[in-house]
Amino acid sequence: MSLALRPSFPDYESVSKHNNFNPYSDNGGSVVAIAGDDFVVVGADTRLSAGFSIYTREQSKLFPLSANTVLGCSGCWCDTLTLTRILKSRMQMYQQEHNKTMSTTACAQMLSIILYYKRFFPYYISNMLVGLDDEGKGCVYSYDPVGHCERRTFRASGSAGALLQPLLDNQIGKKNMLNAKEEPVSKEAALSILKDVFISAAERDIYTGDSILINIITKDGTTEETFQLRRD
Amino acid sequence: MSLIELCGMESFTAPKIDRNFEDDISKFCGNFSCNMELGVPPFSNPMQLNQFSKDESGRDIKIQFDHGTTTLGFMYQGGVVLSVDSRATGGQFIGSQTMKKIVEINDFLLGTLAGGAADCVYWDRVLAKQCRMYELRNRERISVAAASKLMSNMVYNYKGMGLSIGMMLAGWDKRGPQLYYIDSEGTRTPGKVFSVGSGSIYAFGVLDSGYRWDLTDEEAYDLGRRAIYHATHRDAYSGGIVRVYHMKQTGWIHIDNNDCTDLYYKYQEEKEAIENRV
Amino acid sequence: MSILAYNGGAMVAMKGENCVSIAADRRFGIQAQTLATNFEKIFEMGPHLYVGLPGLATDTQTVMEKLRFRKNLYELKENRPMAPKVFSAMLSHMLYEKRFGPFFVEPVVAGLEPKTYEPFICNMDLIGCINQPKDFVVGGTASAQLYGMCEALWEPNLGPDELFETTSQALINAFDRDAISGWGATVYIIEKDKITIKNLKTRMD
Repeated sequence: MSLALRPSFPDYESVSKHNNFNPYSDNGGSVVAIAGDDFVVVGADTRLSAGFSIYTREQSKLFPLSANTVLGCSGCWCDTLTLTRILKSRMQMYQQEHNKTMSTTACAQMLSIILYYKRFFPYYISNMLVGLDDEGKGCVYSYDPVGHCERRTFRASGSAGALLQPLLDNQIGKKNMLNAKEEPVSKEAALSILKDVFISAAERDIYTGDSILINIITKDGTTEETFQLRRD
Repeated sequence: MSLIELCGMESFTAPKIDRNFEDDISKFCGNFSCNMELGVPPFSNPMQLNQFSKDESGRDIKIQFDHGTTTLGFMYQGGVVLSVDSRATGGQFIGSQTMKKIVEINDFLLGTLAGGAADCVYWDRVLAKQCRMYELRNRERISVAAASKLMSNMVYNYKGMGLSIGMMLAGWDKRGPQLYYIDSEGTRTPGKVFSVGSGSIYAFGVLDSGYRWDLTDEEAYDLGRRAIYHATHRDAYSGGIVRVYHMKQTGWIHIDNNDCTDLYYKYQEEKEAIENRV
Repeated sequence: MSILAYNGGAMVAMKGENCVSIAADRRFGIQAQTLATNFEKIFEMGPHLYVGLPGLATDTQTVMEKLRFRKNLYELKENRPMAPKVFSAMLSHMLYEKRFGPFFVEPVVAGLEPKTYEPFICNMDLIGCINQPKDFVVGGTASAQLYGMCEALWEPNLGPDELFETTSQALINAFDRDAISGWGATVYIIEKDKITIKNLKTRMD
């Protein structure tokens, strides 16, 4: 039998197959935060997905770090787990060393430095750190993957970040509205805008949906709330 | 040292759990104790990071750092004027329109940022610490030349690893007003007129045509403002607010912030007024 | 970088009560460099028919010329104006002809059906797959931002004035978060007996 007639069995081919390992995965999810004068609300959807499949419909992406600081993460879930573990230990170490809880502003700076440590192999996470600052005002810190951080009053990040940010600019920042000045929002207004924007996101972003977990931080502590979104 | 230690067996009998925890946590925060020590990636060339552009389900991984800028600085008879825009873009998405691109290192030192936002902010913070340490050790302020050299030496250690920094350092020291340009390639050079960033070519056009040594303060501020404004108009990755700072013998002062939209309509009006007169 | 994002541009069309709107930005640029701020991406193709062609600027113009040619031939032959539905089918066909070497435009069609004056909007991808929803369509580089805006602002049965307000707010806020579109905007409101064209004052950076 000539060689040319031999059927080919791909499993037995001698050429080695090169499979690239990808250390990152995109598990989707969106986080939105709005700060007011004496409160801050942060919401994250609870869908954890990979590609077109859903791992779970009820995964909280909000991590309380102290009584008035919460971290919201979206992106690569394994990186999120590592990062939050380190942050929690660091918070604990600070508490035991200084006998006081780390302030939100200090925590924001620490997160930036921890993220920058991995400059050459970054955490693939969009972080949003919210809480009350030293004067009791609500604050939202948003980060890029290597730790550039900026304080704002409202921010949307994650898979539906691009969809939602212009909406927040318009509704809360009063951008492109004639004769309207940006003024602090009330807690009720912030909550209803938060829910509205997530409903919009769930319509168009397949990685956002199922339900949202909302944390409302005031000087009295953190309260939790959930809100159902579409589950398809 | 015993053979056991050489073979890395010294902890064989010791309780391991405590130290593992300690190592693990401190391992991920190496730059807490030494600011200049960053994590080493698990591959030989840090630029290889670009290979991981897909996850296992084929979705694009977009690690997009905040980028894009126009900044400028020039020296004239009254000191140094710095002027910057305030837009940060990740890819085509405008991440922020209000970023602070001038870092106040101390009362007599200002740095501008261009390139990777995180790179600039982090290293400027390290520089600020170094400058403060110098002050405490030597009981005098650091010269701008020394500060700029500290910065360029620090980032030179990471040359070729993908840092992206283009900064100007303006200050006033014993030798008078100073302006330096430093970048992540290791360049460090003093000069009179600089502009850095994606919109710098447009800014230079305006700056060079209006620059004189004997500008008055107001003229200098306006020149800086105009140059940045025109860059924001032409360059997609610059925009937001135009911030102007002035470095004087008595330290820096912040002149003003102007929204680009207001500037556009103001300059438009001026242009129309001139046209109508002719 | 995608060829569709070489020149930049944003476009949206919305349905209202007996009216439709179509709006686009006015930037013409090459990647980061803005060359002109008076570039038209929306073209009149009939008394109640407009087509917007966001994407590669050269193809915007080529496709527009080709469409005008085919539409004129149709009108000479049939002696009646072209309906939006017919026009979209023709455009889709024309794009699919170039299935393996496409024009880099993502067209948006907006108009009123002749006789019934029923609102019509549709958009398609660069090889002509038609999407004809009941609310709004978007196209161009700011499409993610536009989806978010429209999804929240659009509601059924908007009158012409409300439709104008909704469309312009959606467009302006969306392209203010996109680096390569903006620099002015044009909004067309198409009603049975009048067409309103407005240029909006926007951020110019």
